[in-house]
Amino acid sequence: MRMFRLACLATAMLAAAPLTARAEMRAEVLHWWTSGGESAAVKVFADKFTEAGGTWVDSAIAGGQAARTAGINRIVGGNPPTAMQFNTGKQFDELVANGLLADLDAVAAEGKWQDVLPPALTEAITRDGKVYAIPVNIHGINWLWYNKKLFDEHGLAEPTSWAEVAAAGEKLKEAGLIGLAQGGQPWQERSLFNAMLVGDAGTDLYYRIYRDGDQEAVRSDGFRKVADLFKQLQGLTDAGSPGRNWNDATAMVLTGKAGMQVIGDWAKGEFTAAGQVAGQDYGCAIVGQGGYLMGGDVFVFPVVDDAASANETQATLAEVMFAPETQIAFNTIKGSVPSRLDVDVSGMDACAQKGAAALKDPARQVPTTDFLISPDLSGALDDVITQFWNNQGMTTDQFVEQFIGAMQAAG
Amino acid sequence: MTAPMMADMPSGRRPRRVGIARIGIYAFLLTSAAFFLLPLWIMVTTSLKPMAEVWEGNILALPAEFTVEPWIRAWSEACTGLECNGISVGFWNSVRILIPSLVLSILAGAVNGYALSFWRVRGANLLFGILLAGAFIPYQVFLYPLVRLFSQAGIYNSLACIVIVHVVFGMPIMTLLFRNFYASLPVELFNAARIDGGGFWTIFTHVLLPMSAPIIVVATILQVTGIWNDFIFGLTFAGRENLPMTVQLNNIVNSTQGERAYNVDMAATILTALVPLAVYFLSGRWFVRGIAAGAVKG
Amino acid sequence: MVTARSPAAASAHALGGRAEARPARWRRQLGAKLALLPLTAVVIVVYLGCMLWTVRLSFSSSKLLPVQDWAGLQQYGRLFANDRFLVSAINIGIFGVLFIGGCLVFGFLLAVFIDQRVRAEGVLRTVFLFPHAMSLVVTGLAWQWFLNPTLGLQKLVRDLGFAGFTFDWIVNQQMVIYTLVIAGIWQASGLVMAILLAGLRGVDEDLWKAARVDGIPAWRVYLSIALPLIGPMVVTATVLLAVQVVKLYDLVVAMTRGGPGIASEVPAKFVMDHLFERNNIGLATAAATMMLVTVVAILAPWIYARYVRETGRCP
Repeated sequence: MRMFRLACLATAMLAAAPLTARAEMRAEVLHWWTSGGESAAVKVFADKFTEAGGTWVDSAIAGGQAARTAGINRIVGGNPPTAMQFNTGKQFDELVANGLLADLDAVAAEGKWQDVLPPALTEAITRDGKVYAIPVNIHGINWLWYNKKLFDEHGLAEPTSWAEVAAAGEKLKEAGLIGLAQGGQPWQERSLFNAMLVGDAGTDLYYRIYRDGDQEAVRSDGFRKVADLFKQLQGLTDAGSPGRNWNDATAMVLTGKAGMQVIGDWAKGEFTAAGQVAGQDYGCAIVGQGGYLMGGDVFVFPVVDDAASANETQATLAEVMFAPETQIAFNTIKGSVPSRLDVDVSGMDACAQKGAAALKDPARQVPTTDFLISPDLSGALDDVITQFWNNQGMTTDQFVEQFIGAMQAAG
Repeated sequence: MTAPMMADMPSGRRPRRVGIARIGIYAFLLTSAAFFLLPLWIMVTTSLKPMAEVWEGNILALPAEFTVEPWIRAWSEACTGLECNGISVGFWNSVRILIPSLVLSILAGAVNGYALSFWRVRGANLLFGILLAGAFIPYQVFLYPLVRLFSQAGIYNSLACIVIVHVVFGMPIMTLLFRNFYASLPVELFNAARIDGGGFWTIFTHVLLPMSAPIIVVATILQVTGIWNDFIFGLTFAGRENLPMTVQLNNIVNSTQGERAYNVDMAATILTALVPLAVYFLSGRWFVRGIAAGAVKG
Repeated sequence: MVTARSPAAASAHALGGRAEARPARWRRQLGAKLALLPLTAVVIVVYLGCMLWTVRLSFSSSKLLPVQDWAGLQQYGRLFANDRFLVSAINIGIFGVLFIGGCLVFGFLLAVFIDQRVRAEGVLRTVFLFPHAMSLVVTGLAWQWFLNPTLGLQKLVRDLGFAGFTFDWIVNQQMVIYTLVIAGIWQASGLVMAILLAGLRGVDEDLWKAARVDGIPAWRVYLSIALPLIGPMVVTATVLLAVQVVKLYDLVVAMTRGGPGIASEVPAKFVMDHLFERNNIGLATAAATMMLVTVVAILAPWIYARYVRETGRCP
């Protein structure tokens, strides 16, 4: 009887063995994509990962700050998720420096990531020669969205420079509408400013300030011109703008109350949800000299079991996320553009195709400030920019001096 | 609800005849009520409108197109990540966190308050002073060291962890509440019990606890609100299997780059608040009865 | 056995005070001491420990993760040159005074009026208490909409015909802090009312009768007689409100995000932003230390006089 029982047990264990090996591909992924549209995008990843034999365990926490805080606390507390989301840039530098992230060199080499990613992105995910993050999309930050019907009614063409944007806004304001719908939160004001800096003063000045930390560049005429134009655009917003969420500003454009908004390509979701079509009801444009400000999201892989490199689960997850079909499917829903440049984007909407086309030109690939400066400096500059935007009495001179002051204090 | 109250000992002043004074009283109370209800009005009307109407921006208007769909979505269909099951997912987790935390934190506060007010232990008041000062520190500062502490103790990310956190952070106010309450009781009560041979715990359970109903009600109101609405501690310490409802609520309400369905947000918030509201409503009867039952008389 | 004492001596002592032989007292207090062990552990390990850790880190150059180096007063130098921090200090002062004062007055008035045996007292009480139950994230948004000139009150009144009416405090850098006060009073007055009502209901019925017999008008009874009697409750309510003032964060984030610009910044938000978003633990802990120092400076004399000196009746 006992032998029989032992034999049964042994058979059961043998039968279960392949199952347990399978079940180890369990990936707990921590991210902040929680709205309906974002959830559908995450589903793409989850489904593809399941097809590859893994189990996706979802840990979603809304609000980038809350999610990153929770993730870092878990890593520090010894209970790390398998993968964690960050914005492309310097946010996870210290985690790498403290040896808390596993490197993806093997996966990156096999997938030849370096060949298909924009150089700025490759740089952004590499620390000390090793790859630590996988970029899953590129969000264009400096899009101008405008209500095509309003523009046609008032005989306005798609603006090609920021001065034209100001002029178009003035015309709409005279007609009793709101020229520029702006969400009144510091990150949106900063995005607008940087969009104008790149579009009007050019990528050279942009790099000199943010990559090289050149304080004299801040005192240049090009910068001051952008600052004046920035103030002018502020005059085109309505009184209720401070504190407003970006969705509410987009709603103003799509209901015809306002003419334009400058915000990233995630705004497409709102237009689509309202049943509007790009090119017919609304238009999208990169204004100015053409620099395409690239933001986006990456996933990093905390060290599990003291292994310095990504384990099998993590490697599989990374491969799945970077596969061309996954990239197309994910980004079509998300509203962004694939991070790899070698995929066929002809199935995506008109604005996404515009963005992908812009990215083909290496000169137009411009990283957002997240790639170039520390979160601390970025925040300090946010404070200066938002004060300049909201404080009517602040002059361009004061703005320049405070901008330099922040660079000195936080740099 | 007013009937049982009328049957009790009369409390408050005897009402004067209906005159200017009465009208003035009601006018004040009703105006105040309007002030308090205003945001609720906005939230409820928004939650019953379709998004197209919300975008129009008439926040005080009644819904032109009445719909309860946001409520259904908030409870069971809204996306909170990969899953789209609304806030109902976390309901039982919130309950499982609430009950032990509530009981233990009130117990801790009561025992501490009792020990501090009747027994003069050397140095206890200094500890209480530090505790009170600690209540004023932004709790975010405590997160990182506590994470390290719990992870070394091996209980990080568990139900026990979050319960301990709630007890610890409720301790200052709970202790203050009970200490002040017991301090207002006559000391003869305590002395008499001592003369009768009572020890620390017997006096507590047989004499003081039965008299503590009013303050327990206040403490319950405070703790239920605080624990039920807590987000950051639940997120950091409870662990993935025990995440409270507020995490789902946050996921629905706070998406950064996704679309925002304000009507669902409002519905979700009101649904989440129903438990503390029920506690307030039900605790009303205890407020009047307990106190009027001679808790403070000599 | 308890040594016999005169009643005078008994009431002259603070609660529970005894003059006895030491060893007997120690043994008798064993129950109390054991019961206070959790409190001791929590205070020392959690509160003192975290406070010291915070102060230590404020002298370091920690960014995202704590680093145990020594950076002297560098963080403090940066802190006091930081506009946001200075604005937040002023804001919390204004907010604190107006919020606590407003809640106490409004809460007391509500308690007094509700105490008049009005009809539907239960409903009214719940109406006044319910703001406390709701998550500030969304109620703050509702307030933001209502106070927004293009969506809320200003639009409403102008639509009614008063074209010149302006109420745009929330987008005005000088006035935005007062909008926070309004929303704060809305949220917390109900709780103050509940606490003070509990106190009022506990006042001896004979007192009311006696006052009525003496012909004292009602409002004088409340102000001069009842209010001093519920002193301890007022103190409790004040402490609760003060704690909320210092911890003010959710409301600001929901209503104004610290804006317009940096005009409605508050210390807790400053600490939070720098702790997590800006990867600057050093600066955040420096700010937190300053908050702690201020709180201790204000509280310490009061706590010492009331609790630590152990003389006179405790409140």
